[in-house]
Amino acid sequence: MKRFTKLFLSGASVALMAQAANAQQALPQQTDSYFVSAQQELFSKLAEQPNTGRAKNVILFVLDGFSIPTLTAARIYEGQSRGVDGESNVLSFEKLLPYVALSKTYTHDSQVADSAPTATAMTTGVKSLNGTIGVTQKVTLENCASQKGAEAESIFELAEKAGLSTGIISTARITHATPAAAYAHTAFRDWESDATLSEEAKQNGCKDIAAQLIDWSAGNGFEVVLGGGRSNFLPESAADPEAADKTGARKDGRNLVDEWKAKYNDGAYVWNKTEFDAVDAEKTEHLFGLFERSHMQYEADRAKDKGGEPSLAEMTGKAIDVLSKNKEGFVLMVEAGRIDHAHHAGNAARALADTVAAAQALQVAYDKVNPQETLIVLTADHSHTMTINGYPKRNNPILGIAGTGDDKKPYTTLSYANGPGAKLDEPRPDLTNVDTTDLDFLQPALVPLGESETHGGDDVAIFAAGPWAHLFRGVVEQNLIYHVMAYASQLPSRVKAETTGAVK
Amino acid sequence: MQRRDLLKLLSFGTGALMFPGTSANAAVPVLKFRELYVRGDELSDLTKSLDGKIVQMTGYMAPPLKPEVRFFVLTKLPMSVCPFCESEAQWPDDLVVAYCDDPIDVVRYTDLIDVEGKLELGFWKDPETQFVSLIRITGATYVKR
Ligand SMILES: [Zn+2]
Repeated sequence: MKRFTKLFLSGASVALMAQAANAQQALPQQTDSYFVSAQQELFSKLAEQPNTGRAKNVILFVLDGFSIPTLTAARIYEGQSRGVDGESNVLSFEKLLPYVALSKTYTHDSQVADSAPTATAMTTGVKSLNGTIGVTQKVTLENCASQKGAEAESIFELAEKAGLSTGIISTARITHATPAAAYAHTAFRDWESDATLSEEAKQNGCKDIAAQLIDWSAGNGFEVVLGGGRSNFLPESAADPEAADKTGARKDGRNLVDEWKAKYNDGAYVWNKTEFDAVDAEKTEHLFGLFERSHMQYEADRAKDKGGEPSLAEMTGKAIDVLSKNKEGFVLMVEAGRIDHAHHAGNAARALADTVAAAQALQVAYDKVNPQETLIVLTADHSHTMTINGYPKRNNPILGIAGTGDDKKPYTTLSYANGPGAKLDEPRPDLTNVDTTDLDFLQPALVPLGESETHGGDDVAIFAAGPWAHLFRGVVEQNLIYHVMAYASQLPSRVKAETTGAVK
Repeated sequence: MQRRDLLKLLSFGTGALMFPGTSANAAVPVLKFRELYVRGDELSDLTKSLDGKIVQMTGYMAPPLKPEVRFFVLTKLPMSVCPFCESEAQWPDDLVVAYCDDPIDVVRYTDLIDVEGKLELGFWKDPETQFVSLIRITGATYVKR
């Protein structure tokens, strides 16, 4: 049995298998196009071999709010936008990251998670409380004093200590929960600038998240930081470069951008696409980009941004150019942070467009690295409530109408369990003459929650390729992601070697 | 055939249903949020060409400061918070202020409305509220979809 398996796993066995399949008794369906393509898929699976080498680099893509229906809908949306069959379309990561597992996203205190403890699960290996970042279950929400002794060290901190390069990218504010889990330790995710710190937090010496990023003491700090959230780094006295009538948010007078510039005289700070494009990665050791006062634009609106913003793919490419100069390797997080925001708004079109942008970023990353020595993981932090429903025909527009309800009104293929798309105490709207494929259309929802559609509690997918990616199989706890990344890169033991003075 | 006619009748009955890209009054040009600007705060040629003309825009009424005011903020997507109460950083750049002749009837912020009135362009600070706008619709009337 063992020998048999080995034989099947060797590359030559694929040809043997193909012959074997042909030699079998002829099946009536064996020339059917679906039969043939699935058979090809079988052969390529048989040719896959687990990679047990050390991961020099680790890239973690977090698609915030990327539920499994979002995956399916984005695949169809991307195909239909290109004029090809959507249902059988394949997004970059579906093709490039062959190992898949289901991730259980519940947190220490909640059935349905928010982005703070789920990012913490991925970056530190523990489940924690909703609303908290970089701390363990010992913490009390919004209680600064409880942070002491509850800190969890992130894989980015380990990587810096071991001499690797590190980077974080997000289309949301760089102080938002997901990227913050790379560097911050806080009892409350909303403490993004000192203006939002509570009195208790100030009294007990807790630092806001933006200040934690700039004061981060791990190694020589992040080599790459790209995202939104500029106002959390600028004082109230400073005018914003993109909007002259707007200022920074900080009340403590600190200009964290200036502090960063003073700290890294080999660095480049940029706030728009022109400056970003001009950065020569070869000559830049530290890159800091803050492209928007708050979150960066949705991909669908990016072209209209006043100052101009790079795409997620462009940020990813430039980041890898800077990071890959380090012979020891790098750890990079790329967050597509606004799939989640579009879902919260009940606006599926923008969520799907941002998912497609993330797939393009993954492709760029894959093409830039040696996949044999790079563990690439793509996953979501939590789900959302969007469903794909009805019996729409093949090639029906994914943003279109699926059928008609008992109330004789059309219903859309995509809808939400709750959110802004619901009427308050009124029958659901008649969509007969409404263009539901419009970018600004809000999908119908059942429960009216005008401020925001909620997260979902269902499992999300983990896709992976590279060293030890095959450990991602079955239904796993979300915090396994950290453990596989740490094991594949052997970072914990490499840090130990450094601190005991052992030779690398 | 019969059902179709019935649906048509029903929609006329409610008086609120509009065909996309058309206005209740066929002569009134429709201006979409995404057509307002070329990039940043640079107005599009279409927007500029409609300055001073009666237009129709579709969007959401942001919750007004107090119900007796004669204006409201029209947004592309629902905004749950009043524009004067929240830190401006969270506010979209492409909002439009609609000024009405009479005190407004508040429509829930998640209900689409079609607004008709005279398009007015240019930087303007409301002396009463200090609210700054670049695009306004004056003499605005609106109907819920
Ligand atoms: Zn969210």
